[in-house]
Amino acid sequence: MEATNPTSKAGDWRNYKRVLLPPVKDLHQLEVYEDNGGYKALRDVLSGDKWDPQSVTAEVKKSNLRGRGGACFPTGLKWTFMPPVDPDVPRFLCCNGDESEPGTFKDRQLMEYNPHLLFEGILIANYAMTIKTCYLYVRGEYAQWIEQMEAELEKLYKKGYVGENIMGTGFSTDIVIHKGAGAYICGEETSLMESLEGKRAYPRIKPPFPAQKGIWGYPTTINNVETLACVPLIINNGADWYSGIGAEKHPGPVLYGISGHVNKPGVYEYPSGMLITDLIYEVAGGMRGGKKLKAVVPGGSSVPIMKADMIDGVTMDVDTIREAGSMMGTAGMLVMDEDTDMVSFLRRITHFYHHESCGQCTPCREGTGWLENLVTRIDRGEGNLRDLDLLIDLCDQMEGRTVCALADAAAWPVRWTVTRFREEFEAKCKPAVFPTGDGATEAAVPAT
Amino acid sequence: MPKVTIDGNVIEYEGREKLLQLCLDDGVELPHFCYHPSMSVPANCRQCLVEVGMPVKNRETGALEVDENGDPVIRFFPKLQTGCSMDVSDGMVVKTHRTSDLVKRAQKDNLEFLLVNHPLDCPICDQAGHCPLQIQAYKYGPEGSRFEFRKVKKPKRVKLGPRVMLDAERCINCTRCVRFTDEISKSHQLTIIARGVKNYPMTPPGMEFDDPYSMNTTDICPVGALTPANTRFQARQWEMAPTPSITTTNAKGANCFYWTRDNLIMKITPRQNLQVNEYWLPDEDRLVLDQFNNNRPEGPQVRADGGLQASTWDAATAAAADLLDAVDGSEILFVGSAYATVEDNYLLTKLASALGAATPVYLSHVETGHGDDWLRTDDRTPNTQGCERLGLTRTDAATLQAQLEEGAIKLVYVLEDDLVASGLAAGALDGVSVILHHYNTTNATLPAADVALPAAMVVETVGTFVSEDGHAQRVRPAKAIKGINRTLMMETGKSRTDMHGTPFDRWHNESHQVDCQPSWETLPAIAALLGHPMSYKGPKQIMAEVAANHDAFAGATYDAMGLEGVRLEEIGEAV
Ligand SMILES: Cc1cc2nc3c(=O)[nH]c(=O)nc-3n(C[C@H](O)[C@H](O)[C@H](O)COP(=O)(O)O)c2cc1C
Ligand code: SF4
Ligand code: SF4
Ligand code: FES
Repeated sequence: MEATNPTSKAGDWRNYKRVLLPPVKDLHQLEVYEDNGGYKALRDVLSGDKWDPQSVTAEVKKSNLRGRGGACFPTGLKWTFMPPVDPDVPRFLCCNGDESEPGTFKDRQLMEYNPHLLFEGILIANYAMTIKTCYLYVRGEYAQWIEQMEAELEKLYKKGYVGENIMGTGFSTDIVIHKGAGAYICGEETSLMESLEGKRAYPRIKPPFPAQKGIWGYPTTINNVETLACVPLIINNGADWYSGIGAEKHPGPVLYGISGHVNKPGVYEYPSGMLITDLIYEVAGGMRGGKKLKAVVPGGSSVPIMKADMIDGVTMDVDTIREAGSMMGTAGMLVMDEDTDMVSFLRRITHFYHHESCGQCTPCREGTGWLENLVTRIDRGEGNLRDLDLLIDLCDQMEGRTVCALADAAAWPVRWTVTRFREEFEAKCKPAVFPTGDGATEAAVPAT
Repeated sequence: MPKVTIDGNVIEYEGREKLLQLCLDDGVELPHFCYHPSMSVPANCRQCLVEVGMPVKNRETGALEVDENGDPVIRFFPKLQTGCSMDVSDGMVVKTHRTSDLVKRAQKDNLEFLLVNHPLDCPICDQAGHCPLQIQAYKYGPEGSRFEFRKVKKPKRVKLGPRVMLDAERCINCTRCVRFTDEISKSHQLTIIARGVKNYPMTPPGMEFDDPYSMNTTDICPVGALTPANTRFQARQWEMAPTPSITTTNAKGANCFYWTRDNLIMKITPRQNLQVNEYWLPDEDRLVLDQFNNNRPEGPQVRADGGLQASTWDAATAAAADLLDAVDGSEILFVGSAYATVEDNYLLTKLASALGAATPVYLSHVETGHGDDWLRTDDRTPNTQGCERLGLTRTDAATLQAQLEEGAIKLVYVLEDDLVASGLAAGALDGVSVILHHYNTTNATLPAADVALPAAMVVETVGTFVSEDGHAQRVRPAKAIKGINRTLMMETGKSRTDMHGTPFDRWHNESHQVDCQPSWETLPAIAALLGHPMSYKGPKQIMAEVAANHDAFAGATYDAMGLEGVRLEEIGEAV
């Protein structure tokens, strides 16, 4: 694997210079961050005539930044959904740092190594949408980095970069860090808002959307940690610079979280549009023990699984990967080698969604458990061939019929693992028994 | 007017409404569980899914796009939508299970899911027979289940509070109970705990579900997960007959059903009346079953040989007439009652005036601080307003006592009340004749009575009560009493008019019939013996006379009151 496959959209990625996680020691400290040009974007935006809220939003829109929370929704467009400013109506920004999807662990890196980039992004976003408060909702298990961020935030308040009259410009805004209590569902945007309000994290029905009725019923924008961290980069370097990185329709630096049977699992920052093969064989050091690749889940546990033969020439950007039969998701990539038992893999995934369904909607509450029951039975060698059809049936019964997308997220892995690796599931089932003409029965060999 | 098309039928509507409510209002049945008209819409049961389409508008001109036939082009949402949360809008096109296989399938799938972990213990469940889950599963659900695993175990027989029991396995997690305590009673005593398939409602640690309105959750729970502690496992739904009436625990006049089996009141549930109690009933209104069923008198009694002896209605009525005849009208104290109907109190005032006695008084039973600003009142009687409007004089035990001590009173005639229990010293009645219409043998005035005439209670009579808010409502007999009374028979709940009086009517049963009489039957019988005939065909005619004679009751006829009653102030102005 010498030269980069010509279909890569990541350009000269080997010489890519990291911008989200630059290799600077102790960058999480305010002083170090500032020494490296930190808070320049904020200062530029708040002082001088170059920027006003509209132009900041326009710049983000122009950059083509897409949300990194999983849905790849254009961020600038999302910001314009906020209603016109009414001084009597509070409005909020929510930064989603709940990161709980299996295979996704990239926001953690940002919060650990470059929290000030996130803070700066939040402050600029607040300015762009004339917001006075941002809630940074962080997964509770990240306690250590929450503490670190709280200490850094304290410094920011002392320094006058957050709070009243920031940098003497008259702009005031607050950042509040909120610790989650350990539920995957709290990452769903409306559920996160319920949780913030101190309620049980049951997702809300949409519409109304957060921009109409968010936290405490007020206009709210919600963005992922990585999404907001991109904002200061766009301000400093311009939308054109940003949109020039990686894939044209889905540009920018991406934190790829690679886990599984590779030699060097971890979070890697590269341009979007990287070939999946480059990520596995070049970036992550290739398959562990020189084994053969069997399957890749490219964007966090819920996106459709890809067989090894599906990934050739496929790049990590929203359109290409959709055409190839999966989804970009969070770019958290699960890599599995030839020894992986797909039934057992799916069993673990169904267990997760069963455990995490909030239980509000009937199809999700009951379906997730049933799926786990069935897959477990098959994994134990006690399943029937008809269970495979039932699994697909249950996915049909769950998808698109619930309040939030967790039911879909639970159904997709089942649908696609069973469909794409059906022979492995069939092999684990009890052989089907058909009656023969003379009244006896004989075991049938499952058709492949 | 804006229109929506449901299964090809055009429905006009006004104002903003939710699609499910519109369907229900228009008689288009849609299966649903979590939706309740008076609470927020969580759309969590996912049972009311329908196909929804909107007319396509031209982006530039805003005009509706039409197909080659000139019909508007409809674009359907890619996913099924929940009718309960969907705002209707002009031109919307909806397909329910009647016209969409997709919807039919979704309803079936959802019911299959709902039953996966449901214990299916309908044979021992109080909700069976009127259970939305049971009914809708039979109607829209799959024939069997493909679920072959152990069901989830959850707590059963949980005492959530003194009056409500939970069987968490039956719960379908619709959150109606939680929303009730959050949005309606505002006690915030319930929440859903655990996650996913382990979900069930619970009180916060250390808190009891003792909300004075807690039992409403047992009505709105769409399954048998929440049941009233006092009546559970007492009667199957289909063994009981409901009679629309009102409760008399307080002055609110909340509308209810009395559920009868074998002439016993088995339970009391709210009846919808948006003007009075909406869908709700305080717990206290439901806990009074005992007074209707137990300690009821066995016929009239007359004092003889120093004690009360069983008598007949003829003899007892004659004895009462004799006592009244023996004294001068000015020596009689008539005590009306805020527990009794307008009709009964009215006849008492008529008798008093015929005998030349003073206007009857009535005892007030106000317990300051008992009420709230909702369905409980300080007044513990149902008809204070009725007494006031008839011109009865409000009094209390102390005043009565003083009056009796003056010695001028020789006879006290008590209509459906208990003077001694209200604070009158028992001795105050020594040497005074007492005629008493009573409900229960526990009446503390009974030992002092010379003639005791058992009176029909609210569940056995026909009559009118006026609530604190001036809402006049009539009650109907829910159970049969001994003795034949044409009016009562005609008014009793029955399955069909032409089958009246056959054994197929639940009330028609010899057991547990109390030997009592409505006071509007007893009073005219006594008056007739005293030479003051009052001839009424029944309470309907009495009330018509009240409405004609008292401005405060103008227009309050039985026909006007119907099943939901009238505001006297409003109907009075209209007359
Ligand atoms: C079940 C579920 C879990 C989610 N968890 C997360 C999460 O942990 N972090 C996150 O950023 N977005 C999560 N999302 C996506 C959010 O709802 C939301 O789309 C996202 O935060 C928006 O940010 P973006 O526009 O910047 O991508 C989740 C969505 C669902 C349905
Ligand atoms: S889909 Fe699942 S997780 Fe989402 S609201 Fe419904 S029950 Fe909860
Ligand atoms: S107990 Fe009944 S009302 Fe409460 S959530 Fe469960 S099913 Fe709904
Ligand atoms: S009634 Fe429950 S989702 Fe609509």
